[in-house]
Amino acid sequence: MARQTMQQAVVAGIAEEMRRDAGVFIMGLDIGQFGGPLNSCKGLWEEFGAARVIDTPISEGGIVGAGVGAALMGKRPIVDIMFLEYLGLVLQQLGCDGGAMHYYSDGKARVPLVVRAKFGVGPYHGHAYDYHAWVAHLPGIKVAMPSNARDAKGMVKAAIRDDNPVLFLEHMGLYHGTRDEIPEGDIVVPLGEAKLVRAGRDVTVVAIGAMVRRAQLAGEALAEEGVEIEILDLRCIVPLDKERILSSVAKTGRMVVVSEAMKFCGSGAEIAAMVAEEGFRFLKAPIGRVATPNVPIPFARNLEKMIIPDENAIAAGVRRAMATG
Amino acid sequence: MSNRNETWIALHRLMLATRELDRVIGAADGHWHPALGEEAVVAGCYHGLRQGDALVPHYRGMIAASYARGGDLARLLAGLEGKATSYTRGRYRSDVCGPIEFGIIGLYSGALGPTLEYAAGAALAAKLDARGGVALAVFGDGTASRGNFHEALNLAAVLCLPVVFVCQNNQFAISTSSAREHGGRIVDRAAGFGVPGQLVDGNDVVAVHDAVQGAIARARRGEGPALIDAFTYRVGGHMASDPGNYRSSEEVEKWKARDPIALHEARLLSEGVLDAAKIAELRAAVSAEVEAAMRKAQSDPMPGPEVLGLDRVFAGGV
Ligand SMILES: Cc1ncc(C[n+]2csc(CCOP(=O)(O)OP(=O)(O)O)c2C)c(N)n1
Repeated sequence: MARQTMQQAVVAGIAEEMRRDAGVFIMGLDIGQFGGPLNSCKGLWEEFGAARVIDTPISEGGIVGAGVGAALMGKRPIVDIMFLEYLGLVLQQLGCDGGAMHYYSDGKARVPLVVRAKFGVGPYHGHAYDYHAWVAHLPGIKVAMPSNARDAKGMVKAAIRDDNPVLFLEHMGLYHGTRDEIPEGDIVVPLGEAKLVRAGRDVTVVAIGAMVRRAQLAGEALAEEGVEIEILDLRCIVPLDKERILSSVAKTGRMVVVSEAMKFCGSGAEIAAMVAEEGFRFLKAPIGRVATPNVPIPFARNLEKMIIPDENAIAAGVRRAMATG
Repeated sequence: MSNRNETWIALHRLMLATRELDRVIGAADGHWHPALGEEAVVAGCYHGLRQGDALVPHYRGMIAASYARGGDLARLLAGLEGKATSYTRGRYRSDVCGPIEFGIIGLYSGALGPTLEYAAGAALAAKLDARGGVALAVFGDGTASRGNFHEALNLAAVLCLPVVFVCQNNQFAISTSSAREHGGRIVDRAAGFGVPGQLVDGNDVVAVHDAVQGAIARARRGEGPALIDAFTYRVGGHMASDPGNYRSSEEVEKWKARDPIALHEARLLSEGVLDAAKIAELRAAVSAEVEAAMRKAQSDPMPGPEVLGLDRVFAGGV
């Protein structure tokens, strides 16, 4: 059993898959000798060499496009685009084209491509934007966002083995943070399975990424008030684990969706709508959303921190749900 | 028959098929994008690739490219209307996207440009396999204005990828002429990427074919990408229904006089490869084949609602 940070766990997962399958390779900017931004690829170049750990020019669209092309020819490329802030530069290749190819070819084209991107408010200042909803809206592409090192390793391995394009999101606030016990052996966390991280009878709190830990903190504070929340770590936005969300809401009768992404048209809106549509009969109170307001993420450290939901905002959202039904 | 003669006849056949496709489809569909006058680029590029090579065609000429790689003509034509018998059961259109099972990467959206990057990636896969595979990417002069062109060429140059880029330079992007599309010649950009560039007469099918095959051979040897500027002219409108009245009829007539099919036919005759009777026979055979395929495609059924399912949105389902 090793204790690893999320950064170490993701790199270890990639290295294992590269050893296991010669068709796996990785490309991106400064991922070779430099080790990748925030050490996102540290050690890969030393082990696998420049042929499979490929440094590229600043051409995000070009390298994601090349990833699509190589994937169509049977490889399993991983493309590190550094930051999710650059998602707009690769949407055509990754989402509009890459996501549609399997359907449009009636199942004959496969695009086993992983695009890695870092985001989120954390020690690394800037590049915080969480734009994942753009991609969640496009058919044929999976969206994964681990909340801890163990899941990160298991999910990156599942993403590499998946025959579809996967947007794999690495939160910079979690990246070099707490270490987790990583079990030995081939751990693979299937994409699309939410995880119960706290059981409770009163309110279902759906969270993802860095919001999971904050929801746990809120849960501890609320327990002192006699309110027991049930926390689901979604882990993936696509595929969405509808069953686990609905069965939790069936038990609690209340739901608060927490998201670091902007509220308007964010993926939290889809989860709320899904439960309103398919689980209305379970609800005792209006569904609540705790999310970032619709403004560009401000730069100043304190503002940046203030705008993202914290445990107090989550607890307040839960109290509202309790007060309204 | 010598190899050369066989190739010349195959090139002629593919040019004739390209023109017949334009005639037959254009009559049925005003939205069809004809390659009239550009047949030498189409045939010169798409004839003679190896199994396992990746072909990334320009949309104008996509059906001919798919046919050249072994696609069934009736099924390809069924794809124009999304018939049930098409290669995708009506889920996508065949006029811009050839079947992947023939090693073709088409346009999976209307957006021009990204296919050049897919070609670079296909070449990267070939390079990693080290089996001498290559990718061939063909694109319009208008598409060359996209950033994708620059990113793909630069990436291919830096990584020394086995990919050949051919500009099907018909001097127009819809109504936008070359003069308003780019500030210099496309072939001259090659130097900026540090790759060899070659300007060829895009109305001479043998010149195009030899240039493309030369660049492919070089790429197979591991010497990296090349850019070919196949200079021709779009004799027809952008679409079958476009009168193209934004250019002078003198200009069009001047290019019509350099008809690539007539030029190659004259060569076949003068070099004694085919006589007039054989040429007429070839024309009639190609015409009959295209017409029969179109009749079949037109009588084929449209897809049923079963094609609308969520199956095959995700490989392996969700
Ligand atoms: C990114 C993008 N912008 C605009 C269009 C609309 N469009 C379709 S065909 C075309 C002209 C393309 O010109 P060129 O690449 O020279 O090819 P040609 O039509 O001349 O064969 C345009 C602008 C498109 N398909 N994709």
